[in-house]
Amino acid sequence: MARFPPGRLIREQRQKRRMTQASLAAAVGISAPYLNLIEHDKRPIGGALLHRIAAALAVEPGHFAGGEDVRLAQDLLELARTLSGVIADEAQALQLAAVFPDWARAIVQLHRSYRDTAEIALALSDRLSQDSTLIELSHALLSRVAAIRSFAEILEQHPDLERAQRRRFSGIVASEADRLGGGVRAMVELLGTPPGSNFEVAPNDEVDEYINYHNNYFPDLEDAAERLRHHLCSGDHLPSQAIAQRLADHGVEVIEDYDGVAGGVNATSPIRIDAGRSEASRRFILARHLVGLEHADLLARLADDPRLITSDAARTLSRRALANYLAGALLLPYETFLAAAEAWRYDIDRLAHHFGSSFEQAAHRLVTLRRPDAEGIPFAFLRSDPAGNLSKRFSTVGLRMPRFGGACPLWPLYSAFRSPERVVAQLAVMPEGERYLLAARCISKRAAGFGQVETLYSIMIGCDASHRARIVYGDGFTGSHGASVTEAGFSCRSCSRSACPQRAHPAILASDRQKEASADAPP
Amino acid sequence: MPKRILIAEDEPYIVESLTFLLQREGHVVTAVSDGAAVLPAIGRVKPDLLVLDIMLPTSNGFEILSRLRGTAELESLPVLALTAKGLESDRRRMVDLGVDDFVTKPFSNKDLVGRVTRLLDAPRRAKPHRRDGQAADAQP
Repeated sequence: MARFPPGRLIREQRQKRRMTQASLAAAVGISAPYLNLIEHDKRPIGGALLHRIAAALAVEPGHFAGGEDVRLAQDLLELARTLSGVIADEAQALQLAAVFPDWARAIVQLHRSYRDTAEIALALSDRLSQDSTLIELSHALLSRVAAIRSFAEILEQHPDLERAQRRRFSGIVASEADRLGGGVRAMVELLGTPPGSNFEVAPNDEVDEYINYHNNYFPDLEDAAERLRHHLCSGDHLPSQAIAQRLADHGVEVIEDYDGVAGGVNATSPIRIDAGRSEASRRFILARHLVGLEHADLLARLADDPRLITSDAARTLSRRALANYLAGALLLPYETFLAAAEAWRYDIDRLAHHFGSSFEQAAHRLVTLRRPDAEGIPFAFLRSDPAGNLSKRFSTVGLRMPRFGGACPLWPLYSAFRSPERVVAQLAVMPEGERYLLAARCISKRAAGFGQVETLYSIMIGCDASHRARIVYGDGFTGSHGASVTEAGFSCRSCSRSACPQRAHPAILASDRQKEASADAPP
Repeated sequence: MPKRILIAEDEPYIVESLTFLLQREGHVVTAVSDGAAVLPAIGRVKPDLLVLDIMLPTSNGFEILSRLRGTAELESLPVLALTAKGLESDRRRMVDLGVDDFVTKPFSNKDLVGRVTRLLDAPRRAKPHRRDGQAADAQP
């Protein structure tokens, strides 16, 4: 990404400290007019001068890198990429976010509202095409309308009708109009609920939205995890015995048996863990209990965000999601994990093995490496069960995980089920030309005994294809020759590839001309 | 010359309006309202054209069309399907199954009668299996 223009932030800091341009300029050894040009982003500013200004204003040099405003610029870029005919220019997006942050935020919020509305339209369209009651009701309504129209035309176009016939056809129009009214009322009853409750966001979606809003990074939880880990161990691997010992210090007993149900009844009741679970899974459950005990207030405070969390169910879920985050941060410490990820080129299996975690835990941790001054590659994340039910949707700039319905059937998220225990990678090109590296693996959530149901999931991460040289899964796609690219999309509903052999639903976001061409195709 | 038309539609008033319109064109019209009655009626009436609603009780329009196109003596029977507006996927499916034309409810009488006339006047389409046979016969 281009560099963030720091002028406004310098001016804000200077004014906050009640310094004049002349006094700051003198302090850093430049002229006041030159500082004025810098504050209006009319002059580029080098590293040494930026450090001097930061020192004079008593802030970290990183303060002028933009932080939240850069994320705002990324949101603007994402927005622009979804609009055809708009060239997404990084420098302009940064300029807008830097100079007019409130306007930039308003544009992004407006676009989010539009996107949510479009997604509701998609969900409604899916409902209309799949709900048998709605289909029957709409067919009955259209039949009423068809009869009314047909007889009305007959009455108008056939003046030679006998009187009895004319009376009968008029009567049919009247009675069908009555039945039409009844059908419409039935449709309204079926669809209609009090305003505002029609499309309540599901608690899971609220939590996903909340986590995405925080860019999947919670500094307070990272700090808490670091402090707690410091008490428990010194190496890369935090053994489950150390966690169990700490739980014992709280008076909590851990009982493992083959009929166990994960979780205690309350804070101090014994934790029953299914002994059939993997070591990574058992360790994670213990860690989640421990952080729940030690940081209950912090978790409750963070989860209680009335802007984004609106129901008790969502609050409970968000607290649990944050406890999972904190447990992940405890088991996979930020700096060590990031360094290992960079060194091993984001090889998730290797990371999982080294830190004693599961594939899913390690993949999820990669998504949270978003510390502003020490970021990993920005990854999106998606999980699917074998039926295609999606969960844990975390998006990045550009790579949006679908909120409603299924994802693109061509994604490796689905083909991974055919190759268990193996990572399936794909270089996907989207209809608008953006490219993403996607990697997925099918995992079993539990070592099942005979007759017990094995829980399967496919875990997928994805990032902008420009990062692929840094990632082990990109190795097959780095050369200029022979790299196989999959022409994919995000979901059928939003995809314009009309010739896709895997299309499951018509695209409702296609242009009207495309739709007409499709509807008028000769048989 | 009058033609025989079979209407498969469970809405009695639509049947009545179609019957009125097609009889005015001089055709002989028979109607059934249940999907299971369509194939027996075809055997009895020997229609020149089938007007087929998709949403029929017992056996829907897709199943009927599929069975028609899988039966050698019926595969070339012209079929005009009645579909509902807004369910374009139905139309695509009917095309895949070999429908000859369709009319969307609510339809215009003029449009419907025009399509019926065109289908009745058009030469019967060649049967795929016969073409294969001819190709096989042409081999030395």
